[in-house]
Amino acid sequence: MPATTPGPSHAPADHGADALDPAAGDAAALGGPDLSSSRGGGRALAVRAAVMLSTLFVISIVVFAATQVLPGDAATHILGKNASPESLARVRTQLGLDRPLVSQYWGWISGLFQGDLGMSTSARIPVSELIGSRIANTALLVVLAAAITVPLAIGYGLLGAVRRDRPVDHLLGAFAIVFTAVPDFVVGMVLVFLFATIVLTVLPAVSLIPIGENPLAYLQEFILPVATLVLVSVPYLGRLLRASMIDVLQSEYVLWARLKGMPERTVILRHALPNALVPMVQGTALILAYLSGGIVVIEYLFAFPGLGSALLAAVQTRDIPVIQAVCLMFAALYVVVNLAADVLSVLLTPRLRKRAAV
Amino acid sequence: MSQTGTSFGRRRFLQAVGVGAVAMGGGGLLASCSSKDGTATTSAPTGEPRKGGTLRVGLGSGAPTETLDPHNMAVYPDWAHAFMLYDLLNYPDPTSFALTNHLAEEIAPNAKGDVWTVRLKQGVEFHNGKTLDSDDLIASVHGILKGYVASSLYFIDPKGMKKLDERTVQFTLPKPYSVFPDAFAGSNQFIIPADFDPKKPVGTGPFKLVDFKPGDRATFAANPNYWGEGPYVDEVVTIDINDDTARVNALLGGQIDVMSGVPYDQAATLKGNPAVALLESETVAWTPLVMRIDAAPFDDVRVRQAFRLIADREQLVAQAFLGHGKVANDLFMQFDPDYTGNDLPQRKQDIAQAKALLAQAGQSNLTTEMVVSNIFPGLIAGAQAFVEQAKQAGVTIRLRQIEAGDFYGPDYLSRPFTFDLNSSTTSYLTTCGLWTTPDGPYDATHMGTDKEYADLYYKACETMDPAARKQVVAQMQKIEYDRGGYLNYGWGNVIDAHSSKVAGFIPDKVGWPMTSYRFNRVWFTS
Repeated sequence: MPATTPGPSHAPADHGADALDPAAGDAAALGGPDLSSSRGGGRALAVRAAVMLSTLFVISIVVFAATQVLPGDAATHILGKNASPESLARVRTQLGLDRPLVSQYWGWISGLFQGDLGMSTSARIPVSELIGSRIANTALLVVLAAAITVPLAIGYGLLGAVRRDRPVDHLLGAFAIVFTAVPDFVVGMVLVFLFATIVLTVLPAVSLIPIGENPLAYLQEFILPVATLVLVSVPYLGRLLRASMIDVLQSEYVLWARLKGMPERTVILRHALPNALVPMVQGTALILAYLSGGIVVIEYLFAFPGLGSALLAAVQTRDIPVIQAVCLMFAALYVVVNLAADVLSVLLTPRLRKRAAV
Repeated sequence: MSQTGTSFGRRRFLQAVGVGAVAMGGGGLLASCSSKDGTATTSAPTGEPRKGGTLRVGLGSGAPTETLDPHNMAVYPDWAHAFMLYDLLNYPDPTSFALTNHLAEEIAPNAKGDVWTVRLKQGVEFHNGKTLDSDDLIASVHGILKGYVASSLYFIDPKGMKKLDERTVQFTLPKPYSVFPDAFAGSNQFIIPADFDPKKPVGTGPFKLVDFKPGDRATFAANPNYWGEGPYVDEVVTIDINDDTARVNALLGGQIDVMSGVPYDQAATLKGNPAVALLESETVAWTPLVMRIDAAPFDDVRVRQAFRLIADREQLVAQAFLGHGKVANDLFMQFDPDYTGNDLPQRKQDIAQAKALLAQAGQSNLTTEMVVSNIFPGLIAGAQAFVEQAKQAGVTIRLRQIEAGDFYGPDYLSRPFTFDLNSSTTSYLTTCGLWTTPDGPYDATHMGTDKEYADLYYKACETMDPAARKQVVAQMQKIEYDRGGYLNYGWGNVIDAHSSKVAGFIPDKVGWPMTSYRFNRVWFTS
């Protein structure tokens, strides 16, 4: 945990927070109060949570409104051009399309709170049934990817910072440039080429997980999608940590600790790293947000039965309830992950933690 | 069909994506080929069929809307499943394209052609052990007439069906209809038992249903009492893998044994791989540019002719099909015995003549819009190539690309200029009934508004003498050639691929992939 022992243990956390670089900018742009403001951390978090909830509310309106401006309504989509006005009216009544927009929105949003996501217009089954097992698949995919990415990124950042400008750092830098520059689906395709189809055929090329079955029984099908996500996430997150680690290592308190004759290992792991983790936490939140969006491409590439491929299919069939549900889920994940990152930031920042405790 | 009514968009969509999508990505049209009649031509495969194994089939265009109701099919895998579970009365031979009886023993007309008698094969059993009889045929026709593609049997009056005995049904038609058997070879005319329950579907097909998860996978077990050839494999599992590349990867990685719809640009790669074999078929499916003959600027025949002369067909075939196809002459149904496209002069690019025609029509420097959708491999590339060719004649074409769902949506029949994918049933005339006549649900060129052509169609349908009918059909094709709305520049092949451990697939002219899904004729060599 954070620096509680020697040295001037003040500035670094703030310093680190300033070094948030892209993460900090983006997080602030999302519209939350600055946690390092003069208000107490606990209160700030409460405010932040309130803002998050209102963000979700606004998102729900945007998602709802966006699906309303699509040309034609669901009734004409279902019945086609030559449908009689009577049957159109009947279907509109069935679907509740004849009600005022506000009332439709209320019906939708109150259904959400009761766990009712509506009916899929293309599959004609409840949306929850359609995407239920897909949520588990996608969640497992994201969790696995994150669980592997974060430790690897920490190792990457530490190694890069400690061995700064040495060959290993340059090597890691080259690795980062390659995997940040190459689009994720290309990385995935190369992995498939190497391990599943042409060079070797040791791993499944596509993730044929039967719908409704326990994804844990099909872990092999996760290997390549997870590997792809990890390969494109680690460099970004690792570079973030390396930058903040370098900042911290150049700070006075680290110099102080070294002058005291502390072992370098202790300096780095016990004093420097915890203060470098704040931007990392924000970066992880961004990575998770990226994963929830980037996963659409990866799921498509591996024919992975998850939320991303469900969204893609729903867009193709104009299945608006499914589009709404999946978009809202991705948005909620984004918001929740950011909130969690803020909480973690506070926990990792002694000054803020103390204020929160006051 | 009340081709108007409900869910036109989807029905049409599946017609193209499922039924029609012949060309390569999708399916083709009809189904099933024979076995029992000794017509089953098992060419290439090596050695004697062996029993056993589970055949894993990768299919594209899957969706949660999949159904096992064979008269209301909506997406491409529906046909794969239907061809395993059910049979048709008859079907074109994959090699000769000649109609071959399946469940029918005989389909015979009276002299005038307004009374047809269908006698069913004896001793054919449904999966539940019930014997196929006349009541099942009558129930099936009722089912078809209530289904999505009812218009394919528009000539039948349901009240005119009469059971003569346990396996003979007489159809008394309001008017003579000369191509009655061809209409029953259409790939929606599956025969079901009279007490059919779509939740527990049984048919007479080579495989019985074990498990069905729409949009994901379906499992089938061999029907040991199948009346025809095979089945040799114990089990078939179909898996929906909608992305073409993912499907290819699954095949290369050994996760599936056979796949439909190899994209043209991947065929060359697969060809060099000893672990897989390509199955390439020339088919009757056609992928024309569609000009509406009653909408400006294409309501002037000179504009249509100019566009047909603009096309550099060799180049279009090269760009759209990457060489997996051949040049066409604007007509369709190339394997119909009455097809005249090879007898009429082959149209070639003639920019000077095209410019002259456009000038006469007052359409020099014409600017128009072509609506396209990525409904089969190579379509967009072909469209772009045509846009470039048109520039040589001073014609500017803007491409507007839309989603397939919109393309086959409510505006499908009203757009003046599109690029489409068509496939058909079994003969030129039954094809016209759907695609180029006044009641045709897919008459996107509005050819049905050409009265002379429409009258010839009705005349041909009433002409029982094949030689006389051939002449009428030739006149229809001459009109199509002279003033029709299709610019059919080429025939693209359907390409499937399978593991080299699998044998029994042969090229199929019908247009459905994987030898019309006749997995009963397929076996593992090791």
